[in-house]
Amino acid sequence: MSSVKSVVISCAGIGSRLGLGQTKALIKLNGKSLIAWQLELFKDVEDIRIVIGYQANDIIKEVLKYRKDVVFVYNHRYFETKTGASFFLGAQHGSEYVLEWDGDLLVHPDDVKKILDTEGEFICYADKSSDEAVFVQTDDEGKVLAFSRETGDYEWTGPACIQRDKVKYSSGNVFNQLEPYLPMKGIKVRAYDIDTYSDYTRVMEITKKWAIK
Amino acid sequence: MREKRKGEKQRKKENNTEKIFFEMDDNTRKIKFIFDLDGTVTSEETLPLIAKQFKVEQEIEKLTQETVQGNIPFVESFIRRVFILGKLPVNEVADLLETTKLYPKLVDFIQKHAGNCAIATGNLECWSHKLLKKIGCESYCSDAVVENNHVVKLTKILRKEQVVEQYQKEGYTVVFIGDGNNDLEAMRVADIAIAVGMTHNPSKSILPITNYLIFSEEALCRQLNQLL
Repeated sequence: MSSVKSVVISCAGIGSRLGLGQTKALIKLNGKSLIAWQLELFKDVEDIRIVIGYQANDIIKEVLKYRKDVVFVYNHRYFETKTGASFFLGAQHGSEYVLEWDGDLLVHPDDVKKILDTEGEFICYADKSSDEAVFVQTDDEGKVLAFSRETGDYEWTGPACIQRDKVKYSSGNVFNQLEPYLPMKGIKVRAYDIDTYSDYTRVMEITKKWAIK
Repeated sequence: MREKRKGEKQRKKENNTEKIFFEMDDNTRKIKFIFDLDGTVTSEETLPLIAKQFKVEQEIEKLTQETVQGNIPFVESFIRRVFILGKLPVNEVADLLETTKLYPKLVDFIQKHAGNCAIATGNLECWSHKLLKKIGCESYCSDAVVENNHVVKLTKILRKEQVVEQYQKEGYTVVFIGDGNNDLEAMRVADIAIAVGMTHNPSKSILPITNYLIFSEEALCRQLNQLL
């Protein structure tokens, strides 16, 4: 399955909320950069597309230490755009299905496998853990019905998988690009994004126990 | 499609920005891949190859250094290069270049999709024609008058961006694949620009206008197939 899905990792942002002075792909988690973690989790995926902007040259250098066969996609307007623009750019010449993955998101290795093996379109969400989150509202079967800034059953973390041609340019965020296609199949995962310094220290603790097979 | 493209071009002009948010109409587009030759389709540079074989390494190396450092502009450098190499027997240069190492999977892609592909090289046609025939798609080169098996007069220096514009006028969506300073303008006007760093690192000047950057032959072929 992994061979017909492109994974689009968005790493173009400045990472200003984290306050470590560098783009999030390069921050170290237990001795390894975040992008190195991602590449290890996706080692069996053929088409990896990494969207770059801020500190692009540093990310390229780091990625090439691990593998050379990725496609780097430039978002030259990273300063004035959001994740929707990066996902569109990364998806537009990818495979039939594109898996959207924020560069600051870490998902439990077992769940990564499950995600890569799942066919068709879906949206992943996690237990609520942050106050500033976007939430998802689900039905009894776990299907995603709506996104909301106010209330919901779970937290929207990504990733999400969708047909490439459905990804339209958006000046907003990825969830805005998915909204027209709801309801969509939902998958609950153990996912953690790193937006703030407290997220960073928490994820550092969690990942200590992870073993990537 | 035409109107859409016109609108895009207009916007580009107004904002002087890249074409990164250009959405293609998949149902109507005709696609043309235009490849730089040296270091993009060949896995070794042709100039040092000629210089070594005919023992003009020092002269060529000095010129290359001055050009890379920006002391000699590209066109002037090219004219000087032709002046140095023009004295060499043309048929022997062409035979040598025919043996230049190529990226086999990429050449395979070009041959399978010859109608969608073209090569644009600043090299002289009289030196490159055997190599280009081996690759097997349309090609665009610089030209010179040859007399008694020597280059006597340079008549045309290829401007790659004109090749891109010509195909765009014919209604093609043009993808330009290159790695050097002399690809910059062509990559700027192309609908999609792919910078490659397979033989050596791409020129820094092309990175701010490229859509994709690729370091492996497999990834490049995969991307080209996805663009078809």
